[in-house]
Amino acid sequence: MREVAIAGIGLAKFGRYDGKKGRPRKLYPEMGGDAIAKALKYANMEWKEIQAAFGGTYYGGLGGTHQCVARVGLTGIPIVNVYSGHSSEAALRLAYLRVALGVHDIVVAVGAETLPGGLLDNQTMPAWMRMMGLDPLPAAAACRAVRYMEDYGATVEDFARVSVMERKNAALNPNAMFQQEVTQEEVLRSRMIASPLTLLMNCANADGAAAVIVCSKNKLKSKKKVVTIASMVQTSGTYGTTPSGGSVSVSTKVKNPDCIELAAKQIWEASGYGPEDMDVIQVHDAFSPAFLWNVEKCGFCKRGEAPRLLKEGYFEKDGKMPANTDGGIMGRGHPTGATGIAQVAEIFYQLREEAGPRQVAGAKIGFAQGASPGPNAVLTVLKR
Amino acid sequence: MKEVAIAGMGFVKFGRYDGQKGRPYKEIYELGADAITKALKYADMEWKDIQVAYGASMFGGLGVPNQCTSRLGMPGFPITTVEGACSSSQQAMRQAYLDIANGMYDVGLAFGTEKIPPGLIADTLSPVWMLRMGFNLPGTYALGTRAYMQASGATEEDMARVAVMERKNAIMNPNAFWYQGPEITVEEVLNSRMIASPIRFLMACANADGASAAIVCSKDKLKSKAKAVTIVGSAHATATYGYDNLGNSVREKMNPNCTELACKQVWEMSGYGPEDMDVIQLYEAMSPSFLWDAEDCGFCKRGEAAKLVREGYFEIGGKMPANTDGGLVGRGHPTGATGLAQIAELFFQLRGEAGPRQVPGAKIAFNHCSGGGPNALCHVLKR
Amino acid sequence: MSTNGKKQIPCRDGLWSSPSSPDEKPQLMGSKCPNCGEVFFPVNPVCINCQHQTMNDIKLSRKGKIYSFTTMMLPPPQWYKGPVPFDLGFVELPEGVRVWTRLLGAEAGTFKIGQEVELDIDVMQVDAEGSEILGYCFVPVKK
Repeated sequence: MREVAIAGIGLAKFGRYDGKKGRPRKLYPEMGGDAIAKALKYANMEWKEIQAAFGGTYYGGLGGTHQCVARVGLTGIPIVNVYSGHSSEAALRLAYLRVALGVHDIVVAVGAETLPGGLLDNQTMPAWMRMMGLDPLPAAAACRAVRYMEDYGATVEDFARVSVMERKNAALNPNAMFQQEVTQEEVLRSRMIASPLTLLMNCANADGAAAVIVCSKNKLKSKKKVVTIASMVQTSGTYGTTPSGGSVSVSTKVKNPDCIELAAKQIWEASGYGPEDMDVIQVHDAFSPAFLWNVEKCGFCKRGEAPRLLKEGYFEKDGKMPANTDGGIMGRGHPTGATGIAQVAEIFYQLREEAGPRQVAGAKIGFAQGASPGPNAVLTVLKR
Repeated sequence: MKEVAIAGMGFVKFGRYDGQKGRPYKEIYELGADAITKALKYADMEWKDIQVAYGASMFGGLGVPNQCTSRLGMPGFPITTVEGACSSSQQAMRQAYLDIANGMYDVGLAFGTEKIPPGLIADTLSPVWMLRMGFNLPGTYALGTRAYMQASGATEEDMARVAVMERKNAIMNPNAFWYQGPEITVEEVLNSRMIASPIRFLMACANADGASAAIVCSKDKLKSKAKAVTIVGSAHATATYGYDNLGNSVREKMNPNCTELACKQVWEMSGYGPEDMDVIQLYEAMSPSFLWDAEDCGFCKRGEAAKLVREGYFEIGGKMPANTDGGLVGRGHPTGATGLAQIAELFFQLRGEAGPRQVPGAKIAFNHCSGGGPNALCHVLKR
Repeated sequence: MSTNGKKQIPCRDGLWSSPSSPDEKPQLMGSKCPNCGEVFFPVNPVCINCQHQTMNDIKLSRKGKIYSFTTMMLPPPQWYKGPVPFDLGFVELPEGVRVWTRLLGAEAGTFKIGQEVELDIDVMQVDAEGSEILGYCFVPVKK
């Protein structure tokens, strides 16, 4: 497999573009095209050099990538709409693989989203389950949080702390939806969504787009501060950790690593690095407690240890393991199709020393954990 | 690049699984799991042999592939949903093919499953403002049809003839929607309800439910090397400048359309040409597109397709047997499963297992698949 | 047929058994693998754990303990027509599975982890033809 570099990244600022309350109105193809154009500019490349495109939009409907690409150029290249759950890091992984395997030299991956308001439609469940109200994603996360509290003594204050940290980080990220910090009190007192998760512990529906151009190393226009993808792995749900298709039961007897633990195990083996080697990380937390159990599952600390470390400032920008320095999902907002690439984008900027006030000094190796309903996990290690 | 073979294929008969009028009820993920199980059985492989899966469902929602596979096992290998409108399931096969050809995996699964609501298929590719003005899929097809009729002199009778041929073929295909018949006549087609002039009801594919699956592997992993079918050409192209998202030409023709582009690439890659093919599949959600697809893919000169249809050129007993299983019109069109259904017919033909539809001595086959995007996917299979 | 004469349809066939006598109560119907003993609800034709190709039917115990739960404060979109707030949770059954279910029969938010609950079948909504759509749920054990 060849070395694959990231030639450029472009982000369309996450926010609300629904045309209400004086906000501008933008649909996802426009934002996707915008992100691609920015990525091309960063990479100092032209559209005609792109040989394939992979992309995702979870709610945008069919042909999402085609519609984003059509804003930039129509050159007949293969364009594949890709999903693993809702985030587009599966698109990035395919883009990476097609370059690594030598199928193409220069490929773009784009994720774009225009979300409706309110509880998102959970397409992974059939109608009969949904009639019984079994589908809301916050409920599944909330039940997990309840067990996490029961098993490890975590508290809602710990969950709030994640949001506080991420909103603080987001205030330093011009591309994040939220530009204002929040306090512990504000998070705890915000409206309850699915107990014990309050509004500010839930991802905010957002619109936005993110695009990345990957290429074989020799195709880079500039060889300075080259960032390569050291490894990318993707996994799906394992038996005993989640209900199977069409089922509502989970085994209590079989113990398997879940898809995130499995992916983490694979990526540490494949990349030759370990969690301790990472300088800056991205953890997927569409619900703030997920930060805690995901960072544990990825191997950054022992199970149940994350709340204590968080409290000690371990994951802060200037802590031992800076995480979600751009605000994570709590701070960035969650245009579901674009989040995955946005996570990788922040690691990229960190490694390129372009993270401005969010910069982690001397960052050379970074990690991004994406996850989505399915369930699916896509993990990435980047290095400079 | 490694040689990639199709180890097995599985099908759920295209039909209706809505539980109404005495028909069975099946969930979309049950259909998918069923097709996958059959494909594994054909391939003489087990669930644990699979290392990667690509799944498709156009209307089922993006979580459907995971739901299908997790009815059978959950070992955690990557499962990716791919979408290319009506080409989705073949996109799945192509991604598995690329992974295996390039040594990433040895055995992969590609599948598609679909349950289509009745009525006009929603055009989710066009933005809402276009839909509000009345744009729709049959209408767009009809525009292309009119333009083709003008340029080629093809008539509505010619389009009806394609539908008649395909419905006749479907009666020999136990997996087809119209397996039970009846055969139809040109007159019946021309008298059937108008959908979007000049496209009539009997020229259009039937909305159907169904699933299809393929096990794709590096050739050395085949359990049986007898009559091995390999993929010798695979190409995917999308719109070039001058075409809209449904592949209609919106400018004076400046560039090849995506079908022409994909075909050019697949002929180059495989080293074969149209004249080398023994049996083919052309994508036709509405029967008129059979005619221009035949020309775009290089099976005849521009404007010639209608004449060849009249002469029986594309019949099972003709010079270039096409859509021997009924095509989309005869087989039905569960959009997320159609692409692999096309491949399946070619696979069975090359293996000598097409029963009454068999083209004697078929050794090399060609597939053209397309979908909104637009996407054109072409494959060449060889035994 | 319900007491008010309306036709009753389960939201999905085969989720629970129909009692054949007044003393019998419905039970959730699942599958058990004769090879590895894993249990699934609803019925699945093959074992997802060991891929054994045949499964035995099993009726699940009516009573279980709450493993986790949450109170949903917003209505799920499109399909759900029940009350809000409402509780959802995992109920652990002696057969070795946790079932994802609504928790009803008590004020939302008053359940406890470890609490014993039992199966109930309830009328969730009425369809366009006036038939009652039934679903399963778990409720506090009736004393």
